[in-house]
Amino acid sequence: MRWLTCVALLALGVGEALAQTAEIRAKVTDDQGRPVEDVVVVAVPVDGAARAPARPRETTVDQVDQEFTPKVTVVLVGTPVSFPNHDNIRHQVYSFSPAKRFELPLYAGVPAAPVVFDKPGVVILGCNIHDWMIGYIYVSESPYFAKTGKDGTALIAELPPRAYDVRVWHPQLDSTEESTRKVVDATRAGPVAVAWTVKLRREAKVRRSPAADGRGRY
Amino acid sequence: MYRTAHRRIRTLASNAACVALLVCGGSARAAWQFDIDGGFFYDSNLTRAYEPADIRADTAFVLDAAAGWFSALTGADGLTLAVDARTELYHRFNGLDLLDVGAKAIYRHKFGLGYAAPWIAVSAAGAYDDYRSRLRDGGRLDVRAELGQRFTPEFDASFGVRYDRRYARSDEPVVPDISGKVFALRGQSAFARAGYAVNDRLLFAAELAVRRGDVVATTRPDFEIFVASAAIAADPTFGPDFFAYRLRGTTNTAKVSASWALDDRSSINAVYIDERTDAAGGVYYRSHSANLLYAWRY
Repeated sequence: MRWLTCVALLALGVGEALAQTAEIRAKVTDDQGRPVEDVVVVAVPVDGAARAPARPRETTVDQVDQEFTPKVTVVLVGTPVSFPNHDNIRHQVYSFSPAKRFELPLYAGVPAAPVVFDKPGVVILGCNIHDWMIGYIYVSESPYFAKTGKDGTALIAELPPRAYDVRVWHPQLDSTEESTRKVVDATRAGPVAVAWTVKLRREAKVRRSPAADGRGRY
Repeated sequence: MYRTAHRRIRTLASNAACVALLVCGGSARAAWQFDIDGGFFYDSNLTRAYEPADIRADTAFVLDAAAGWFSALTGADGLTLAVDARTELYHRFNGLDLLDVGAKAIYRHKFGLGYAAPWIAVSAAGAYDDYRSRLRDGGRLDVRAELGQRFTPEFDASFGVRYDRRYARSDEPVVPDISGKVFALRGQSAFARAGYAVNDRLLFAAELAVRRGDVVATTRPDFEIFVASAAIAADPTFGPDFFAYRLRGTTNTAKVSASWALDDRSSINAVYIDERTDAAGGVYYRSHSANLLYAWRY
């Protein structure tokens, strides 16, 4: 009987805790009102009390048709990322970014060991064989993040109710990530909608299309 | 004769394809690439004549198809082997109608990691040209070395040197003791080019080149050219009283191009070329050419 009471109380507690989670629904549009895809939305508790994350699960960034897929990946700091190559040509993936400098020597298939992203920041990926290939890994210090889809929306769910500093990042963002910061009151259970209008600049990417003189292919 | 040349081209093409297949079969980790360029070409002075009365202009339909194989040998080295075929069909001067087949090898090395690393490329290309008029038939060889760097994702530049050689099959002298191999040519060039992508779609490029070597001018009989010529032959392509002359000369070429990307694999390209030649015997001629091409790569 005592055992049953314990289970019931525990279930009640868990249920209540779930019922009390908040969520942030972000919507990002550009200055012409069009939804912006691949925007990273990160929520950091104002009081700094982020839930201790479980050990991050391995993530993959594929190479398909000589492009990084997905183009933008967001991971928690400490996450191992593998770079499987699904092309029939070898790639040499590298990054010069301060958040993670690394180089995977020319390889086909799946590299032996994943790369662990152990510092927060933005990591820009490139391939030394195909200069047009560019990808981004946003390494978040907070476990609460999401990425916008084609409709420009992202959902950060199951947030402990409290106030959050929420900011957005995109490879073509024309301002600093810090300037997008908003304090969002998510102390009550349920969804909170937040919207950003961002100005995007041209992407710094080497052109892939054929040029008049046939150059630039490799 | 035209049929014989076609047979020779077919043999060459099949041999080149066999070699390519043998070489390419050695590595499973290589990418096939296919290129097609098609469009129109205009030249204001096909005859390379300096007398206005001898200048002939025409427009041609151009189709170029290539199949290649690229392998990353190391993280810094790449090798491309390709075979290609090209045809040019002229509106007025059908003697210039052309079918050529060729093969090309390009080796490229990057001095470091990243798009901004300087690179060097060495290439050799050979082709056999089969014109409707027999005079211009023959093999071609082009060897070049180029050093370049991409300074930003938008801007790149390079410079290089080139050696070109053309082997004439036709040898029908019209003047005793003067060769009839007008299209046996050789020359050396130096060139510099730069490209700038204005936005995601539009890319401008410019190229300057200086070539020293043999050039061919086709005119009606002209004593000044005759005296300076190393070879002379009748050139009925432009009329019964036209003769082609081989001279030594310096050609300055300026080329500008605009490329509009339709997507990652195709583009529309417009190219304008201004060519000025100072040849032996005080011969000076100029030509403008332009082409508008659709390019597709896979």
